[in-house]
Amino acid sequence: MKITLELFGASRDFSKNDYLEFEINDQTSIKGFKEILSTFIDKKFKGNVDFKKIIESSAFCSEKNEIISDNYKILKEQKIGIIPPIGGG
Amino acid sequence: MLHTKVIDIKEKKLSITEAESFISSFDFGASIFFSGTVRNQNDNKNVTGITYDSHDALVIKSFEEIYNEADQKLNIKDKTVFIEHAKGYLNLGEISIIIAVACKHRDQAYVLSRYIIEEIKKRSPIWKKEHYSNNESNWLKGNPILYEKN
Repeated sequence: MKITLELFGASRDFSKNDYLEFEINDQTSIKGFKEILSTFIDKKFKGNVDFKKIIESSAFCSEKNEIISDNYKILKEQKIGIIPPIGGG
Repeated sequence: MLHTKVIDIKEKKLSITEAESFISSFDFGASIFFSGTVRNQNDNKNVTGITYDSHDALVIKSFEEIYNEADQKLNIKDKTVFIEHAKGYLNLGEISIIIAVACKHRDQAYVLSRYIIEEIKKRSPIWKKEHYSNNESNWLKGNPILYEKN
């Protein structure tokens, strides 16, 4: 199934668009999705260490705008947001 | 009473006048206006501007949570709060955030204003990309957001 990953903050450097799309298996966890993202960085950006750190330190949010944990299972096609470390004001 | 908004700077600029108008009331004897602006130095680098990015829905949600927490944590029930944050590119001196609070007494207003900005720094999904005089730019390192639910 298709997942659209909305990019924010430093993760915007992952793409020229505001989002990335991935084909993933049903019931993939956020932890598993992070590994898919990490593989994407390996292929697209030669394993860019800074980009991998962004993935490791990020939270993720569901299309209902709730922060979701590593154990959260993705059960249907949806938008997910990556939330890198924050610092506004 | 609460007003919250993320302002796309391409559409309008943040306005202290609007904040003043919103919180003005005969019910309150103390008002505090806090504004954050883009400054020209950070970590010994010459900053020329900042691009602010935001997850708008989560930001508004966090503003509302912070406002509601003030009832329980600070025991400040009677209050009016105006919070706006900019998104997009801001030049030096431009306003990135306005927090305006009105309370019955000054002690409450100072405490509430400080509480809101510190919590926003910790919890609201907003990011800064600094632009420098050498034409480089850099996303600033922030604080990881905590999981709320499993």
